[in-house]
Amino acid sequence: MSQSLPLSNQGPPRAGPPAPSGRDDRGPRPSAGSPPDAGDRPPILEVSVRHRVHPGLFLEVDVTVGREIVVLFGRSGAGKTSLLRLIAGLDRPDEGRVSLGGRLLFDRAEGVCMPLRARRIGMIFQHDRLFPHLSVAGNLRFGLAGRPRREARDRVAEVASLCGVDALLDRRPGTLSGGERQRVALARALAPRPELLLCDEPFSALDLDARDALADRLRRIQAREGVPVLYVTHSPAEARRLGDRLVLLDGGRIAAEGSPGTLLGRRSGREGDDEPSDDLHATTLRGVVVGHDGQSTRLAIDGGPELVVPRLDRPIGAEAVVSVPADDIILLLGPVAGLSARNLIPGTVERCRPTGAETEVVVASGAVRWTARIPAASAEAMALQPGLSVRMIVRARSVRVRPVPPTLQDTFTPLNRPSP
Amino acid sequence: MVVSIETIGPLLLSIRVASLATLAIVVVGLPTAILLARGRFPGKGLLTGIMTLPLVLPPTVLGYVLLLMLGRQGPVGKVLERLFGGVPVFHWTGLVIAATVAAFPLFLLPARGAIEAVDPGLEDAARLLGRRESSVLLRVTLPLAWRGVLAGALLAFARALGDFGASLMVAGDIPGRTRTAAMAIYDAVEAGQPANAAWLSALIASVAVVLLIVVNRVMPGSSPPGRPPSKSDP
Repeated sequence: MSQSLPLSNQGPPRAGPPAPSGRDDRGPRPSAGSPPDAGDRPPILEVSVRHRVHPGLFLEVDVTVGREIVVLFGRSGAGKTSLLRLIAGLDRPDEGRVSLGGRLLFDRAEGVCMPLRARRIGMIFQHDRLFPHLSVAGNLRFGLAGRPRREARDRVAEVASLCGVDALLDRRPGTLSGGERQRVALARALAPRPELLLCDEPFSALDLDARDALADRLRRIQAREGVPVLYVTHSPAEARRLGDRLVLLDGGRIAAEGSPGTLLGRRSGREGDDEPSDDLHATTLRGVVVGHDGQSTRLAIDGGPELVVPRLDRPIGAEAVVSVPADDIILLLGPVAGLSARNLIPGTVERCRPTGAETEVVVASGAVRWTARIPAASAEAMALQPGLSVRMIVRARSVRVRPVPPTLQDTFTPLNRPSP
Repeated sequence: MVVSIETIGPLLLSIRVASLATLAIVVVGLPTAILLARGRFPGKGLLTGIMTLPLVLPPTVLGYVLLLMLGRQGPVGKVLERLFGGVPVFHWTGLVIAATVAAFPLFLLPARGAIEAVDPGLEDAARLLGRRESSVLLRVTLPLAWRGVLAGALLAFARALGDFGASLMVAGDIPGRTRTAAMAIYDAVEAGQPANAAWLSALIASVAVVLLIVVNRVMPGSSPPGRPPSKSDP
């Protein structure tokens, strides 16, 4: 992660070496122009909405998407999913308009609200929402009703091979693994050739390897089908891996917009590389500042929960590397009431390694492996063993913040939207 | 000696009445169940209450209300008289009406529950895939709710088969015309013919037990179709 960071926005957004595999087959893309500017990819989806989601969240978003993958990034509760629902038509905005490929999907002022079935939007969800009573093939065919049988069959075969589910066509969704199900969901959404693909954290429940594989597959598919993609995630790694452009949402508004590399910092290698799960003395985590509350700062951790740390003087969107000493993590089995520590992180014991008077416990939570060190007697009393669900108590103050290359702040791009 | 017109006749009538009543219940009840499960309109609670009233009313009271409504002087009876030249009171059609009303909630409640239990997210997914509402209903909602709907229909059939109070009030107990199995059992006991009563009771009870077994098999939750814990690709 020591490569030079582009200090200016010259050159193609993906020019900085090294580019992980999977990005090379994206086909030629116009490379002139600065990344935050979508001008090189004419907008297909144009959204301008104002909507009161609930008393604590007012969405006010103007965003456009061309033939690219735009990552909608932000902490939970920032309004990402709400925005997708407004675009899909699952909810109606209080005000504003949504248009897709020149068709008006919604316009409050003109009283236009196109029904869901006519929007030609594909959507995949955190939970796959496959039809459990249909086979995989039946699921893929579902959106092709009314097409000639032969055409439907060909298209099913095409998306099935595109998404790597050819071998699963006769299976029922209930018999598939999580990764397989999401691949089927992706194929199903793509089958009717939607004009827009909305993704609501579709891979967040998967493990890291499956996630990376799916993200790369999605990139290839997007390049091939040319469908605009709006992808919601709160994982910085996923945002970097997938996004041509990143829109950072905070409190219902766009806080920043630009290339993921610029906004989140560039890194080499794959996501897992900088999670030193074998570090005996601390858990090192990489995160992105997503908000400040008084004297504390919230970090979104790659593949993990949000972490509250002492106030960092860095802008939202800036990257931070933190570490939590193994001795400072308290493990908890039962319920707890009234806790002064700010972080209570659920996880599963992965392994226990006695080291004399102490026991080292590796706890997996999401995609992150935490290392805790507790007295051997405690480990015995708690009957810790792999597979056991525990919670980790981490005081905000015990989180050490490591220095991060200062260039990130220089290249941080504040909201600066080109007028359409 | 027990298999006679006195026992088989009422039993066949009961089965015929219960079948017709179940048919009527499903035809009216399924749209009602869908409306109550998915619709949002004022007075929904009131409608639900009225629809489930037969469940809590004493059968004789229910039958009395029906008699008042369907009789020559009743509001419904007047209309029927004008349309068909007669009223269903003391007629086998009265049996069907009484059984239909009495058994209706037993269909409605499980059917509505089953439809409500279908994940609306799946219906949204179907809409996003270009399906119109009728198609969403036929291809997603009902195929996923059929167990509950079938269970409701079987429960309603069992209830209609054994109806006594309401049927007696509306249709009377006319031998060979409106005497159902339940009435025949009562009459057999009254007339000191325990063998007939026992024979009919056993028949009705065995039908009910078979139905109960089937209901337990199809009822959602009996063989959990739940997803296995999701795991990722290796």
